[in-house]
Amino acid sequence: MTVTDTVLQDRKIRINRNDLIQKFAALAGLVLLVIAFSLTSDSFLTTSNFVTLALQTTTIAFLGFGATCVIITGGIDLSVGSVLALAGVVAGLAVKDGMPVVVAMTLGVLAGGVCGLINGLIITRMKLPPFIATLGMMMVARGVTLQITGARPVSGLGDAFGVLGNGSLMRMVEEGANGFPKVVFPGIPYPVIVMILLAVAIAVVLMKTTFGRHLYAIGSNEEAARLSGVNVNRTKIGAYVLAGLLAGLCGCVLMSRLVTAQPNEGVAYELDAIASAVIGGTSLVGGIGTISGTVIGAFIIGILRNGLNMNGVSSFIQMITIGLVIIVTVWIDQMRNRR
Amino acid sequence: MSINNATSTRDGAGLRPLTGATATAPRAGTDADQPILTARGVTKRFPGVLALDNVQFDLRRGEVHALCGENGAGKSTLMKIISGLYRLDDGEVVYKGEPRHFHSIQDAQAAGITLIHQELNLVPHLTVAENIYLAREPKKGLFVDRRKMEADAQVYLDRLKVNIKASDLVLTLSVARQQMVEIAKALSLDAEILIMDEPTSSLTESEIDRLFEIIQELKADGVGIIYISHRLDELRRIVDRVTVMRDGRYVSTRDLADITVDDIVAAMVGRSLEDKFPERTSVPGDEEIMSVRGLTRHGVFDNVSFTLRKGEILGFAGLMGAGRTEVARAIFGADHRHGGSIALSGRDLSIASPIDAIEAGIAYLSEDRKLNGLAVGMSVKANITMANMAAVSNRMGLIDDRAEREAAEQYVRLLNVKTPSISQIARNLSGGNQQKVVIAKWLFRKSRVLFFDEPTRGIDVGAKFAIYQLLDELARDGIGVVLITSELPEILGMTDRVVVFHEGEVTGILETCRTNQEEIMQYASGVKRMPC
Repeated sequence: MTVTDTVLQDRKIRINRNDLIQKFAALAGLVLLVIAFSLTSDSFLTTSNFVTLALQTTTIAFLGFGATCVIITGGIDLSVGSVLALAGVVAGLAVKDGMPVVVAMTLGVLAGGVCGLINGLIITRMKLPPFIATLGMMMVARGVTLQITGARPVSGLGDAFGVLGNGSLMRMVEEGANGFPKVVFPGIPYPVIVMILLAVAIAVVLMKTTFGRHLYAIGSNEEAARLSGVNVNRTKIGAYVLAGLLAGLCGCVLMSRLVTAQPNEGVAYELDAIASAVIGGTSLVGGIGTISGTVIGAFIIGILRNGLNMNGVSSFIQMITIGLVIIVTVWIDQMRNRR
Repeated sequence: MSINNATSTRDGAGLRPLTGATATAPRAGTDADQPILTARGVTKRFPGVLALDNVQFDLRRGEVHALCGENGAGKSTLMKIISGLYRLDDGEVVYKGEPRHFHSIQDAQAAGITLIHQELNLVPHLTVAENIYLAREPKKGLFVDRRKMEADAQVYLDRLKVNIKASDLVLTLSVARQQMVEIAKALSLDAEILIMDEPTSSLTESEIDRLFEIIQELKADGVGIIYISHRLDELRRIVDRVTVMRDGRYVSTRDLADITVDDIVAAMVGRSLEDKFPERTSVPGDEEIMSVRGLTRHGVFDNVSFTLRKGEILGFAGLMGAGRTEVARAIFGADHRHGGSIALSGRDLSIASPIDAIEAGIAYLSEDRKLNGLAVGMSVKANITMANMAAVSNRMGLIDDRAEREAAEQYVRLLNVKTPSISQIARNLSGGNQQKVVIAKWLFRKSRVLFFDEPTRGIDVGAKFAIYQLLDELARDGIGVVLITSELPEILGMTDRVVVFHEGEVTGILETCRTNQEEIMQYASGVKRMPC
């Protein structure tokens, strides 16, 4: 949450009051959810559940960061759910081929980047709308994934493959009186650490670098950006490559958690990613959006899932709830912008 | 809601026959001098801004009442309140003797008040008739009665004596004709009050003549017209009374017959303007800064050549569609060209994109600020530094916040941009100040050649003067300035030489001090042509 705080402070200086209200509204919603679930379930407000929750949220967050960058340019990326499966499978197959895990996962992430590059090239060179280009990529990437695996999970990847997804920092275990190990502190899972680092890094990119500024400029007024000498094509390609790389990383983390490369993983995850960005205040029209908002958006979705699960709410009702949350948050957002 | 409104309008239409000029016959029992609309004590606040402060306004039937004021004076806000787009915070609007406040444009339209926007609000891919009857289509059972719709629409179009078919697609019509469609739509809504926001800004002389005839006819039919225009010279031809606003406040209302244009200007700016144009202090040097040879884009412009000297203001004159903007865009690399060379200080440039042109020191300020020039959703600061991020960031692309703030503040001060802070979103600035932000962007880029495409369009008198002064100062600093404008007085008042275009060709390059309006028009219309 320190990420959110520093980002919030920075925005306070340069962005008008309305943005802050929106930020606090989302943050307040998050807090309300935590309070509500704490009251209804005893096991919600525990360290181990929070660690689980953070771990579950990393998937949405990784994809959400990419979605934020793309949506800020006024684009959309529907392919990330398939791309993460492809990336994970590439990593899995590479390990099967005898490569070290680090190399294999790097290959997986790069595979995601290549998919993003292709998306970017189709959008900027062939001048197809992002919706169409990435819809095509969504199907192609999924098809390739199923083809190269024969639609079968790649298993037997060894313990090393599971470290990224299942390991954690500062895990404290002591031997109990009965001789069984007792977990004192479950540790911070590696994916959560990666998420925090990425949130800071991408927030800095968006707010403090020319690349980030150009993303906003393109989304705000593409022609004005072009006539100001912004290399629009290169910047856009950059956004899609970033989204692809993040999807690739997300795929590797997910498959690592399962210690199996699942070709059917990640179906419809792109929608979670878009939802987290939108709940966090990113405008689908382009030009507006922050990583801090997306972090909040991702956690709202994560906490809803986790909390509803704890309360024994069926996954069907969960879908209904999250759908309504998306509609209501964006509605609030629009109300605020109306004169 | 829109369905309700549609019904009520259709009922209203049913009361009066749709037979041309008699459709709005004089209403019995109304005193012509009795205002149809009175606004009193109108106050409107936006976050941080008091947009309207206790403003009054009234309109009589059959009157053309001009509303004048600089940009940011509150004219548009007042009109948006009257036409139901904004809600007022204080005060009242009395329409036909009753206090009313409309909740939407449809609400106001149903009551007989129609606003014709500066940017026209038509759907390009629908026909004229479909646009006129949008959301209130005549039905035959479940289906749209296309035949009746087109016949009815044609009645209104014919009444305006414009050669437009109701079945034409709107996107095939010129801006002037689209405006006529808007007026026809207003007629079909039985408008009793018509609000026209800058209706002549993109019309040719003959189109303006036709528009004024129509306004006279509407006036004779008892329609009250609120007329907003920056072209004060044209008021004399149609306007009865003038209300002047300044800084969100009401200044005065006078019969036009009693006052002069200078009186209006003085009331608008709160001081008297000695002259429309500042004294030129810059003298063009001998050094040639840019030379363009044989520039060609097939079907758009052909074999365009001219030179620009250091510290010179070069005018681009010509009728609309003569290719002036297109030539500028091609030099800037925004559009493709098929032939020709561009040299800067004797060095040939290969310009393939705006990036190349900017790199070489050429800047282009587009005629449509909001569309091409300004990222209106971004801050003043981000807009100013947009073309020169390299100057405020390190090699890694990391922006130096302080350097950026200082640069933005420096140029805001230099150009006297009126903004509460450099973090203000550009959208919230007035037109003149937005233009200054765009200029600041290119000054910060240290451009050597600046193309200004209609820099004063839609800008008020005071801001225009400031822009002219700026052009002069730029030239004095040795920058080559190209001024593209449709206003001949601007050409005569500001330029050193003028390049005249006719249908994509240069027909003449004239010394401004040795020419006049008539001669430029002869070249612009292709009557005269210089041997090349």
